[in-house]
Amino acid sequence: MQLPSSDVLRGTLDLLVLKTLTLEPMHGWGISQRIQQFSRGVLDVNQGSLYPALQRLELRGWIDSEWRTTENNRRAKYYHLTAAGRRAVGAETESWRRYVTAVEWILGTS
Amino acid sequence: MSVRKRIATWLRALFGKTAVERELDEEIRLHLDLETEQHIRAGVPPSEARRRALIAFGGVEATKEAHRDARGVSWLEDGAADVRHALRAFRRSPTLAAAAIITLAVGIGANTAIFSAVNAVILRPLPFPDAGRLVSLGEDNSEFGWRHSQVAPANMLDWQEQVAAFADVAGYVDYGTTATLTSEGEPKLLVSSEVNGNLFAVLGVRAQLGQTLTPAETWDTGSRTAVISDRLWRRQFGADPGVIGRTVELDDHPVEIVGVMPPEFGFPSEQVDVWLPTAWDPAFRAQTFFRRAHWMRAVARLKPGITPADANTQLQTVVRRLQQQYPATNRVMGADMMPLHDAIVGDTRQPLLVLLGAVGLLLVIACANVGNLLLVHAGGRERETALRLALGAGRGRLVRQAFTESLVLSVLGGAAGLALGLWGTRALMSLQPPDMLPVHDLGVDWAVLGYVSLLAVGTGLLFGIAPAVRSGRRLPAEALGEGGRGGGIGSRMRRWGDSLVIAEVALALVLTVAAGLLVRSFRQLQHVAPGFDGTGVLTATLALPAARYDSREEVVNFWDDLVRRAAALPGVNAAAATSNTPLSPAHWSSQFSVAGRAPDDHGSDAVHREVAVGYFPLMRVPLLRGRLFTDRDRAGAPLVVLINNAFARTYFPNEDPIGQRLAFDRVPDSTSIWHTIVGIVGDEHQTTLTREPRVEIIAPAAQDVRRGMTLLVRTSGDPLRLAPSVRRLVAELDPKLALESIATMDAVQAESLATQRFVMTLLLVFAGVGLLLAVVGVYGVMAQVAKGRTREIGIRMALGARASEVRWIVLRHGLRLAGIGLVLGVAGGLAGTRAMRALLYAVSPADPATFFAVPVLLFITAAAASWLPALRASRADPATVLRVE
Repeated sequence: MQLPSSDVLRGTLDLLVLKTLTLEPMHGWGISQRIQQFSRGVLDVNQGSLYPALQRLELRGWIDSEWRTTENNRRAKYYHLTAAGRRAVGAETESWRRYVTAVEWILGTS
Repeated sequence: MSVRKRIATWLRALFGKTAVERELDEEIRLHLDLETEQHIRAGVPPSEARRRALIAFGGVEATKEAHRDARGVSWLEDGAADVRHALRAFRRSPTLAAAAIITLAVGIGANTAIFSAVNAVILRPLPFPDAGRLVSLGEDNSEFGWRHSQVAPANMLDWQEQVAAFADVAGYVDYGTTATLTSEGEPKLLVSSEVNGNLFAVLGVRAQLGQTLTPAETWDTGSRTAVISDRLWRRQFGADPGVIGRTVELDDHPVEIVGVMPPEFGFPSEQVDVWLPTAWDPAFRAQTFFRRAHWMRAVARLKPGITPADANTQLQTVVRRLQQQYPATNRVMGADMMPLHDAIVGDTRQPLLVLLGAVGLLLVIACANVGNLLLVHAGGRERETALRLALGAGRGRLVRQAFTESLVLSVLGGAAGLALGLWGTRALMSLQPPDMLPVHDLGVDWAVLGYVSLLAVGTGLLFGIAPAVRSGRRLPAEALGEGGRGGGIGSRMRRWGDSLVIAEVALALVLTVAAGLLVRSFRQLQHVAPGFDGTGVLTATLALPAARYDSREEVVNFWDDLVRRAAALPGVNAAAATSNTPLSPAHWSSQFSVAGRAPDDHGSDAVHREVAVGYFPLMRVPLLRGRLFTDRDRAGAPLVVLINNAFARTYFPNEDPIGQRLAFDRVPDSTSIWHTIVGIVGDEHQTTLTREPRVEIIAPAAQDVRRGMTLLVRTSGDPLRLAPSVRRLVAELDPKLALESIATMDAVQAESLATQRFVMTLLLVFAGVGLLLAVVGVYGVMAQVAKGRTREIGIRMALGARASEVRWIVLRHGLRLAGIGLVLGVAGGLAGTRAMRALLYAVSPADPATFFAVPVLLFITAAAASWLPALRASRADPATVLRVE
C-alpha cells in the first residue's frame, strides 16, 4: 500500500519516522526498511518521500542529523530524536489515536 | 534544530545551495545503492535490482523538488535559484544577453539623463528655505502687451510698503550687467547683478563666508560693498578667507568685499560673479523716471498663513490705488504674481517635456526589441521547456523563471543605463546652450534613482510578459512535436513577434516624424532674413565706466576714436558701433509721441537704439528713404533720428515720415525734446528670428550718448583673425578697459538659435537610435519568420516554386507588418506632435511633407530589413530543409 502525499498522511509519515527513531539513530534507508518491517509489509513507504519528511522534522527541531560512516565504511547521514522530538512522539501518537477513533465513529465501525 | 544551525541551513540554502543539494544527492545515492544491494542479495540480477530500487524509491527529481520545498525558504530560495538559472542561461548565449543589456542600457540611460534635467529644472523645488512662499512680481501693460515684465522701482517700493501680505519685497537686475575688476592684475570683466540690500534675506540664504548685504544698502550708505560668488572666490582669490574685508577696484571705485556666497547659489543666474547693492539716492524715490522706467525684477516672500490668492487680491488693490495716484505713469500699469519657480523655469518646460516624451518612446522601442530577443531565445529552448513540464515542473514556476530572466536582464540593463545616464547627464550639462537649464548641476538624487529603478523593473515586466506567457502556455506534447521539426517557433510566438515589430515601427515613426518636424522648423528659422548681413563682421562689446567717463564729450570722443582707428586697422574694410546688435536678448524701449498728433491713447512703445555713422552700410541694412547719419549729426546740431520700415508702416501708413518730429515722451510737454526723422531703414530682427521685427527708432550715437556699445568691424576674411588687433586697440586707448565679449556676428546669429538647435539635435539622436532599433527588430523577426516557414518553403521549392516567389512570401510578411505599423504610427504621430506646437516655427505639427516622407523612408528601410532574410530563405536547399525533421 502506497501512502499518497497529502497533509494528513504527510503527518502520518512524520509520526512513523519519529516512532522509528525512538529506538536508535538511523539513516534514511534504514528508516524505510524499519517502517516496512514493523508494518509487516503492509506499508511500503514511497521511499523518496522520506527525505522531504526528514527535512521537515529537522526544521521543526524534532530530529537532528550528522554525517557518520556505516559499518561498511560508507558515508551516511544519521538522524536521531532530540529531546523536543521525544516529547512530540507522545503527543503526536495521542492525537493520531484520537483521529483514528473519530474516523471510526464516522465510518460506523466500532 | 538550534538557531545557529537553522540560520546556517538558510544561508547554505541561499548561497551554498550546491552543498545542500550535493548532500541530498549523496543520501539518495546511498539509499539506492543499499536498496539495490538488498535485491542482489535476494538473488535478483544487478540491472534488474537497480531498476526495482528506482521504482521503489519513486521519482528522484520529485523528491528533490519536495525536499527543496520542505526547506521552508521556498520563495526566497527559489528566487535565488531562478536568478542563478537566468545567469547561467545568459552565460550560454552571451551575444543575446549583451545585445539585450546594451539595448536596455541605451533606453534607460537616455531616460535617466533627460529625467535628471526634468527633475532638476521642473520638479525640484528652488534651493531656498520655504521656497513655496516666494513669488515673482511683474508689471503688466495690456496696451503694449507686456505681461510679467520688469517693474519700476517706485512701484515695487510701494508694493513693499502697502501690501500687508508680503513679508518683504526685494528687487534685482537680471539682464547681463558687468563690472570691471582692475585691481587684481589684468582688467577682468565680471558678470554683476545689482540687487536690493534685502534680497538675500527675502530668499533666505546666508553667505558661506562673511555676510550678505544689509537692507539699508538698497539706498546709498556712502560706502560701497560687494558680495562675490564661490566661483569668483576660488578663481580670482584662490579661496583665501582673507578676502573678507578686502577692498578691490571695481568699475574704478573702491569696493569692500563683505561676503562669499555658497557654490550652489546662482540667483538670478549661474553666471553672476558679484552682487552689488543698488545704493540708490533717496531723492530718486520722488522722481518720475523711478516710476516710469521699468528695469528691475522683483521677488516677494509671502507672510506665513497667507494664500497666494489673498496676496494677489491685496496687490491688485494697491495697484489700482497707484493707478489713480500717478496717472501719468501708472494709468495702464497692472501687476501680476507667479511662483518664483515658474518664473525661473518658464521657457524650458516645453522642450524638456517633449524630450522626455521622446526618450519614453525610445524606451518602449528598446523594450519591444528585447522582448523579441527573448522570444527568439525562448524559442530555441522549446524542447527543454517541454521536457521540464513533462517531468513535473510547475507551470507557475516556469512563468516565474521567465519573469526572473527578464528582471535580471533589466536590472543589469538598468545598472548599465544608470551609468550611461550619469555620463549623459554630464554631457547634457556641458553641451546645453548657456543658461538654457537654470540649475547649478543636474546631480543624481533619490528622485532620479527611484525613477531608474522603476524603469528597470517596469521594462523587465513589460518585455517579460511575452516570453513568460509563452513559456507557461505550451503543452509539452505540442512543443515537443513542433520543436522537433527544426527551427521551431510556434504560431503564437510568431504573433507576439509580429505585434512587437508593428509596435516598434509605429513608435520609430512617431520619433522620426518629431525629429523631422524640428529639422524643418530649424531650417525655416535659418532662412529667415535677419535684415542684415553679418558674415565677415566681428563684434566687440565694452562699457565705459562712469567714474572715468563722466561727461558726454569724453564718451563720444572715445567711441569716435575707437571707430576711426578700428577702420584703419589692416584687414578692416569698415568700422562702426551700435548700442545693441540685432539678435541680442535685451533692448531698451521708449515711449514716444509724434509731433502734431494727439497723444496716442494706446501709448506707443518702440525699440530705441543708438548707432555710429557707417553702421547701416557696414551691416548692409538698406536705406529705404531719406538719408543716413553723417558726421554733421553731432551734439549741438539739430537732433535727428531714423525709423525702421515697421515703424513707418505702422505709424505713417499714408504719409511721408521724413521731416516729421518725434519726442521720447508719451505725453509731450514744454520740456520735451524733439527729433526730426531724416530717413527710413530696413527692418532688423532685434531679439530672435522667431519674432517679427519691432518698431524701432534709431538715434546717432553722437547725439544720444551711450557708454556701453558694441564695436563692429567688417573684413573680407575670417573676422576672428581681427580679434587680437581689436583687443590691442582697445588696450591702447584705455588699458583699464575689459572687453565684455568678442564674437563674430555669425556666431551671435547662430547663438540666437542655440536652444532650437540643441533640442533638434537631441531629438535627431533619439530618432536615429529608435530607427536603428526598429530596423534590427524587423530584421530579427523576419529572420524568425523565414526560419519558421522553412518547411513550407522547402516543400514549395521541391514542388517547383521559383526563388523569387519564395522571397516574396517572406518579404510580403515583412511589408504587411511594416504597413500596419506605419498606419498606426501616422495616427499616433498626428495626435502626438500637437504637443510640440510651441517648439515649431512656420511648420505645422501635421506637416504633410514630413508625414509623407518619413513613412516612405521607414517603409523602404523595413523592406530592406526584410530583404536579407527573404534572400536567405530562398537560397535554402530544399533537400536539406526537408531532411531536418
